[in-house]
Amino acid sequence: MKRLSIHLLWLSTVALTLSGCAMQPPQAWEKGNLARKEMTMDADPLDQAFTQHVYFSKESASGGSGVGGGGCGCN
Amino acid sequence: MAATNLTLPLDVNDPSREPRSSAARIGAISLAAFALPGLMITSAQAEAAPEDGVISLKYQTYRDSQPGLDRIRVNAPALHVFAPIAGSWSVEASTVQDNISGASPRWHTSISGASKMEDRRTAADVKLTKYFERASVGMRFAYSDEHDYRSNAVALDGRFSSADNNTTWFAGISTSRDTINPVNGIVENEHKNVSEFMVGVTQAWTKNDLLQFNLTYVRGNGYFNDPYKLVDQRPREKNQTTAMLRWNHFVESNSTTIRSSYRYYSDSFGVRAHTLSGEWVIPVAERFSITPSARYYSQRAASFYFDPVYDPVIGEPYPVGAPKFYSADTRLSSYGGITVGGKIEWRYDKNWSFDVKYERYEQRSSWRLDGGGSPGLAPFRAQFAQIGVSRRF
Repeated sequence: MKRLSIHLLWLSTVALTLSGCAMQPPQAWEKGNLARKEMTMDADPLDQAFTQHVYFSKESASGGSGVGGGGCGCN
Repeated sequence: MAATNLTLPLDVNDPSREPRSSAARIGAISLAAFALPGLMITSAQAEAAPEDGVISLKYQTYRDSQPGLDRIRVNAPALHVFAPIAGSWSVEASTVQDNISGASPRWHTSISGASKMEDRRTAADVKLTKYFERASVGMRFAYSDEHDYRSNAVALDGRFSSADNNTTWFAGISTSRDTINPVNGIVENEHKNVSEFMVGVTQAWTKNDLLQFNLTYVRGNGYFNDPYKLVDQRPREKNQTTAMLRWNHFVESNSTTIRSSYRYYSDSFGVRAHTLSGEWVIPVAERFSITPSARYYSQRAASFYFDPVYDPVIGEPYPVGAPKFYSADTRLSSYGGITVGGKIEWRYDKNWSFDVKYERYEQRSSWRLDGGGSPGLAPFRAQFAQIGVSRRF
């Protein structure tokens, strides 16, 4: 029951956050901000690779943002 | 990783985005990621055939400790290259070498904390991508080699964008084969085979919001034990499900950017985990930015994890009774982890940029999301830092 509550809490948080910001897809001339480097999901590949490798070696959970890396002896 | 094409206007008012040519600023930019467990390479790349290449070099360090004891140190130089070729193709490659030294984990391992160990891991990957009008297809090969562990992986992914370029769908599959030959000889030529399946979508939610949702299913079979743990017997099958939501928001009033993500993870070992992270990119001068960041992680223990109890007479801990599977690996225990850090980036000119990043990480059983972490574990701390340089060409 406690776990269900936690899941519902997360989902509610996301839903409430998104509901406060209704989808208004930009027109072609409105995409300047979205195209900024800092708005990319993975602007620094080596940074991401290193950081996620550290977590991969120290935590049970991994992945979620891509496929195909293979394993290593660190975990 | 899903991707979204964003058509740029000519007059993007951002000094950091100086155009190499006016034509280079027109067209589609796509946000694509490719994160790899193990190698964990991610990339941002053009969905339409890219015109610019980039080469990046980083020196990365990692050091962890428990109270009164320094443990592992890793120094890792890494190189990444992304280059357009032949008009509608790109090639991307990276390599890293982890130089590992220090004392192995003090608890729950057959190599005591007093032991010195050294190791070296060399990893490399290469990806070839073909671009079409609103789509791309990529194939990747990855390799990782240590003296006792070798992994080979191949992946195929595809992306397709809507006509208005506000939505991009992604699908990817991969398979990997690992070979394990531990130095203690407890097993020889053991294997682990893993297949991954992922679908995702990236949506330009508003002119200042980019959302991405990914679902991943991972199916693995083979040797999942840690050969260096004294008492460690895990199932030979492990299936994982991950849901990840990422949200980037540009704040127009102060030109800062907030990047956030939430990941839910579940596996057949019984582990359930939540990961929440955030970064705030703050421009502090025309070419400088600072990015404070924070991350919270919480996991429930694997169903076969047992709390170790050290007995001065018996010595090493063993599970009660005769369970089929058992492990005292702290990475399978219940705990929470917090990371705080920051990054400074300096764009010297339109081609050169430099960055420095530092983070501190700590695990405590009491930091688990709803309390009730595994007892008897010492806090675990780590620091990681990076210094890097990039050049566009």
